[in-house]
Amino acid sequence: MDFDFFAGMFAQLLMGLPLTLNLGILALLGGFSLALALNLMRATRIGNAVASAYVFVFRGTPLLIQIFMIYYGLAGFGFVRQSFFWPFLREPYWCGLLALILNDAAYTSEILRGGLRSVPKGAVEAGRVSGMTRFTVLRRITLPIAIRQALPAYSNEVISILKSTALVSTITLMEVTGIARAAVSETWRAVEIFLCAAVIYLALSLLVTRLSAWVERRLSPWQFGVTP
Amino acid sequence: MSLPSTALSIAGLHKSFGSNEVLRGIDLSARDGDVISLIGASGSGKSTLLRCIPMLEIPDAGTVTVGEDNLSPEGGRLTRGQESVARRMRGHLGFVFQNFNLWPHRTVLQNVVEAPLFVQKRPRAEAEEEATALLEKVGLAEKRDAWPAHLSGGQQQRVAIARALAQRPRAILFDEPTSALDPELVGEVLKVIRALADEGRTMLIVTHEMGFAREVSSQVVFLHQGLIEEAGTPEQLFGNPSSERCRAFLSGHFDRNR
Repeated sequence: MDFDFFAGMFAQLLMGLPLTLNLGILALLGGFSLALALNLMRATRIGNAVASAYVFVFRGTPLLIQIFMIYYGLAGFGFVRQSFFWPFLREPYWCGLLALILNDAAYTSEILRGGLRSVPKGAVEAGRVSGMTRFTVLRRITLPIAIRQALPAYSNEVISILKSTALVSTITLMEVTGIARAAVSETWRAVEIFLCAAVIYLALSLLVTRLSAWVERRLSPWQFGVTP
Repeated sequence: MSLPSTALSIAGLHKSFGSNEVLRGIDLSARDGDVISLIGASGSGKSTLLRCIPMLEIPDAGTVTVGEDNLSPEGGRLTRGQESVARRMRGHLGFVFQNFNLWPHRTVLQNVVEAPLFVQKRPRAEAEEEATALLEKVGLAEKRDAWPAHLSGGQQQRVAIARALAQRPRAILFDEPTSALDPELVGEVLKVIRALADEGRTMLIVTHEMGFAREVSSQVVFLHQGLIEEAGTPEQLFGNPSSERCRAFLSGHFDRNR
């Protein structure tokens, strides 16, 4: 075993970690906001149809194809090149982030929908009857209960999106996997290098698992029998 | 001596679910200090009537008045403007559900201070002080930091009553407050409601507890198929009901309890 090579490789790959985290965290934030909006849209019939179609398309196609469509495909449309968004959409970073957000929103909206459906009707009714506005009911009752219910499923999505950031290496972004691929083409030591990258992703997953277990314990005490 | 003023009133209330006409023209009013029990067979419309007052069900026709505010919704829905009147009306009412409906993600104390803090925007210190006093009143001061799921049904319902009182309501509406409870827990909840009656609180109570209704009510209303069949003092209604249906309902009830 060549420990020096491993140590050097790790140091090199860790240079890509900020971009991996940047993409992952922004994708999760953007995806969650969009997922919330999709769920609020479901209150109307047309909105419900739009949200369902959105989920169908973005959950039903590979993320890699979505990345390619946005990065290579959009440039084919003249109006896109003329638009205000072009300075962003010609950058691989923004294309990758956009694809991750759109994809994450589809999955997260389904997770959130499950959580929202599990909110007891009586709890919402008790909020309304105490004089709360619809917004206050959403903020103080519906969402806090829904998010607690959705947390275990959501932590899967967090791990999944962190790993999915690896796919943007295909559009030249140098996050952890991008650096690993470049190093492999220089040295041909694929096993060692990808092993190092895998360990980094494993460490991230472990962190997320621990974090979500901690948040779960904090947020759903009535389920775990903890008294404050 | 001047008469107490009207706390809430209902006029010409109609409500259907699909083709099922549940309320067919109800008139009812409560003055401050009245304790009105609504009795009747299941399906007679008493719970729907109660739920129409804070617009949990929107009536198809008729007027509901609470204090200074009144609403006459049409077509079973509220306009945006009516929605805000409804919120103000709800703020003047306390509502106690059959299934308690405490917020499971908040502690007992948090349940009680929620509306004072986030609807009425009162200062936290004041709201918590009042909530603590209310919990003491319903006998649950030591449970203030417990979670609803860790309480018995009777305790949850007493918290729900404290939560309703925390809104400083002009009237409290009880929708079968003891129907979801194990028989041995009914007494503790009725005791709390009885104490509120003794304080002169204005209350509307949908109940199947005839003995209790007879004891605490200033007025008893018997509903039958969406209409008020008979109304009167407990002595009149239980002692000598004039309607045949009411007589049959009551004798059925007392037979079953014997």
